[in-house]
Amino acid sequence: MKRFNKILMIALIFISGYGLVASCTHKNDPLPASVSTAVKISRGTHVHLAGVVLGDTSQWKFDKVHSAVNWSSPFLEVGADLTGKFNQFGVADLKDAMMLNYITTKQPVPDTSWAFYENEPAKTHFAGYIQTNQVNTGEPGRDGGCLITTFGTTKIVAGTQNLTAANVARIKTTSVAFDAASSGYIVTFDFTWQVGTGPAVTQSIVGKLSYIPETLVPGTTNSEFGLKLEFQINKADFGIINTEVADKVSIVVNANFNNK
Amino acid sequence: MDNSFLAYIQKLETMAFFSGYALVYTGVLFLSGNKLFKSKFVDKLVLLLPYTYAFVGALFLGFQIRKLYPDYSPEHIRLLIQQSYLVIWGFLSIAFWLPVFNKRPVLSLIHSLVFFCVLAGDLFIQLTTPSADNNILKNDMKVYGASMILNLGVLGFLAILVTLYTYFKDKQMQHRHTTRRQKRHP
Repeated sequence: MKRFNKILMIALIFISGYGLVASCTHKNDPLPASVSTAVKISRGTHVHLAGVVLGDTSQWKFDKVHSAVNWSSPFLEVGADLTGKFNQFGVADLKDAMMLNYITTKQPVPDTSWAFYENEPAKTHFAGYIQTNQVNTGEPGRDGGCLITTFGTTKIVAGTQNLTAANVARIKTTSVAFDAASSGYIVTFDFTWQVGTGPAVTQSIVGKLSYIPETLVPGTTNSEFGLKLEFQINKADFGIINTEVADKVSIVVNANFNNK
Repeated sequence: MDNSFLAYIQKLETMAFFSGYALVYTGVLFLSGNKLFKSKFVDKLVLLLPYTYAFVGALFLGFQIRKLYPDYSPEHIRLLIQQSYLVIWGFLSIAFWLPVFNKRPVLSLIHSLVFFCVLAGDLFIQLTTPSADNNILKNDMKVYGASMILNLGVLGFLAILVTLYTYFKDKQMQHRHTTRRQKRHP
């Protein structure tokens, strides 16, 4: 009887042990939820308003020295990108009366035509310009030569900021909205460019605006924030005839602002 | 809700009460047959095994009555008792209160093996059918574990009860002896 009990106990332990091991599996467990690939959008409530009073940290000034307007376009429409930038630009809404030659090496007009509301894009607006004769591709012969002809403008006059109608390309926002696919914004703006003596052409263009949030500059008491605007234009729409670069020109505006 | 699901739940219920008894039984018998563990207490546990089984049976009966409350109509009983053979077999465990059955503890083991065989059946299906739902086995093993705890708990409870009863009975007897002696030799 003792022997029978032992055998039975061993059999029971064996069967129970097998059951324990066999049940200890994840075979029928539901698979864990897949990692979300959706873009996580988080926006703050920063508000940045333009100003010119130095020392007032509530007023944000355009940091032209640390900003840039870059462009790129495939060389001969087939090659790698030909790139360049504009040396002179500003964040100002140029009215007709302001479109003059300014004898200065500094910013000719205040860069105050903008406002940025991180969480209220409808309130965000900006206007800006570039001086077309200030194009810089790193090739002096091209910048002061064929491109000046292509843009229908005049050469740079030292110590003068040329904001005449034939030398500026301007943008002015008409609407700013949240981008559903990213933490950026979709900006619709008017792009106006008068090439030479021809008529000024205004085209509505859609671009993408990114906000680089306000951060304290290390070692200082002032902060800096950035705005990056990316868009494309078709140069042929504005009467530019040039076979060296493709019709589609990509433009990236990197604008930094500080509250010094 | 499907009736087969109710039947499955009822099968788990019966297993929860009785399937763990077989291992508890063989374990206690193993201890009593082992020189290292052999003691009066272990011998007492062996004697208590059929009562443990009967007690668990009584709990099972109470559980079924509680489930039927307050409608004890035949229709309701028919609706709720889906595994009638298993349930009736479970009710039969109450018979181990009777001396005629509890004098043969091995009968309680045989009785409980039926429930263990249900578990073993599920294990066998799992072993031979790779596509079988592993959740059934997981449930079985959880219920089996709970059943062992229940049976061990009831055995422990009865052991404490009997020990206390014996202790107080002995004390009472001693008291009586002392009183008698004092009366005889004042």
